[in-house]
Amino acid sequence: MKSTDRRDIPYLFFVLPAIVYVGYFAFYPSFSGVYRSFLSPHGGFTLNNYNELLYYNLGAAILNTLIVSFGALIIQLFLGLVVASILVWEFRGKKLFSTVTIIPMGIATVVAAIAYSFIFEPRGGYANTLLHALGLGGINWYSSTPLSLLVVMVADSWKNTPIFTLILLAGLSSIPRDLYHAAALDGAGVFNRFVHVTLPNMRKFIAIALIIRGVQEFNIFALPLILIGEHPPLLTTFVYDLYSTSPTVYISLAAATILLALMTVFIALNIAMGGRR
Amino acid sequence: MKKNTLLWVGVAVMTVYFLFPLYVLLLIAFNPAKFTIEALYPPPIFKQPTLNNFILAFTQYNFVGPFLRSASVATLVGIFSVALGIPAGYGLGRLSSSLAYPLLVLILITNMMPGIVVAVPISTEFIRLHLFNSVLGLALVQTLVTLPLAIFIMQGTFSSIPREVEYQARLDGGRFRSIITRILVPVALPGIIAAFLISWMFSWDEFTYAVILSPIKPTLPVEIYYSITRGNLLTGVAFSLIFTIPVITLTVALQRYLKGEYLSGGVVR
Repeated sequence: MKSTDRRDIPYLFFVLPAIVYVGYFAFYPSFSGVYRSFLSPHGGFTLNNYNELLYYNLGAAILNTLIVSFGALIIQLFLGLVVASILVWEFRGKKLFSTVTIIPMGIATVVAAIAYSFIFEPRGGYANTLLHALGLGGINWYSSTPLSLLVVMVADSWKNTPIFTLILLAGLSSIPRDLYHAAALDGAGVFNRFVHVTLPNMRKFIAIALIIRGVQEFNIFALPLILIGEHPPLLTTFVYDLYSTSPTVYISLAAATILLALMTVFIALNIAMGGRR
Repeated sequence: MKKNTLLWVGVAVMTVYFLFPLYVLLLIAFNPAKFTIEALYPPPIFKQPTLNNFILAFTQYNFVGPFLRSASVATLVGIFSVALGIPAGYGLGRLSSSLAYPLLVLILITNMMPGIVVAVPISTEFIRLHLFNSVLGLALVQTLVTLPLAIFIMQGTFSSIPREVEYQARLDGGRFRSIITRILVPVALPGIIAAFLISWMFSWDEFTYAVILSPIKPTLPVEIYYSITRGNLLTGVAFSLIFTIPVITLTVALQRYLKGEYLSGGVVR
């Protein structure tokens, strides 16, 4: 055992610069941010920054973040499964189609948000053009909180479906084709094959995709900022709102600490569940 | 037969789904405003295509400054990611897994931290260090986003090179440094280029750090955001399309590297 440890030492030096870098630019700022969120502008320890958050809309921001994250994950999982299930087949034009399915990855979040803002514009939006063509009236997509959150979920799902597709496709490709043939011979239809062959074999990949996207879902920022601004608030836009409007940085640090705490709980839950798998 | 119908319906629906938002941007960019943002129910077709929106955007508003700033930041981020990612990826691949795994998790966690949680404390630090609103400062922080992916790509690349090559070189009297620069790096070149380009691309798109750490000297995505919030919608759309060209080109070109295995952080093997 000892000899392997000694052999490790030179290789450790190769990793060191990256570790020092993330330590200085990620861990140190986060810890100092948490620490300073308990300071008053004059120095001493205080909980006032957190008390003040309650006067703003902290509860709504937390709730909205959870709703958007959960909803967007469901949509992405469904669409990712659909696209991945298509891509395991061989058909003419498959290469072109697979390129089309990763296009949203090549569109900046800002640009995706702008495109969707034109689609869901209450006056002069393309979603309402469609409703109008179907003989329905236009909708003001920002008239209520649930609708606004739905717009964010839909736009976010468009941008991030490719990530689900790629991870789920890696999973689908690992299922032996013979299983499907056997199931088909036993008389299982498309739906039954999906439920009894695909899903059980995909559990690990679905879990990984949900974890990776779930973490990033808490962090979406540019998209809600452009689509709905700071109201209704998500935790990220809430922090940014406080950061850009309050005279000192301390209140926004308190809000950021709450976001970090939620994230930590989420990651810890994942690790705990991952251990049981 | 039934399977085929279902397949083609799926292909058609998903193609429309993925392309429609881009089509909307093209409509707004190349149609006169009266058929797009000024219409109550804008028609989903090109009527009287025009280049006027572009001409107006590029003559009235500053595109070159933010464009060059974005390009410089992205290039620096690519260089930083590769400079840190090559040794880290190499080292992690050679370390015993009981040591490599926790280090990998440590680096991965930085990708899970909310950007805004890191950015707000850094902003006060950067003001003190005169790095606020600077290309160098922004590039140093954006490398956080790209480094984990760069490390994974490099680790995968180096692990495909057998250790025997290294041992052989050492027996031949090569020094440690020249083994790396003469043997490992050339063999790993395709991976290095991919890591550089993907880092470049992620930085080009990055918004959170850019808007918080360089608000006065905006990069292109932030400039586009400003245009939209100030009501210059058509300028925002024109800039967006030009802004998209390099990224979409790189995404399609690098399709090979955008695999589930990398995106899931090497968890799926």
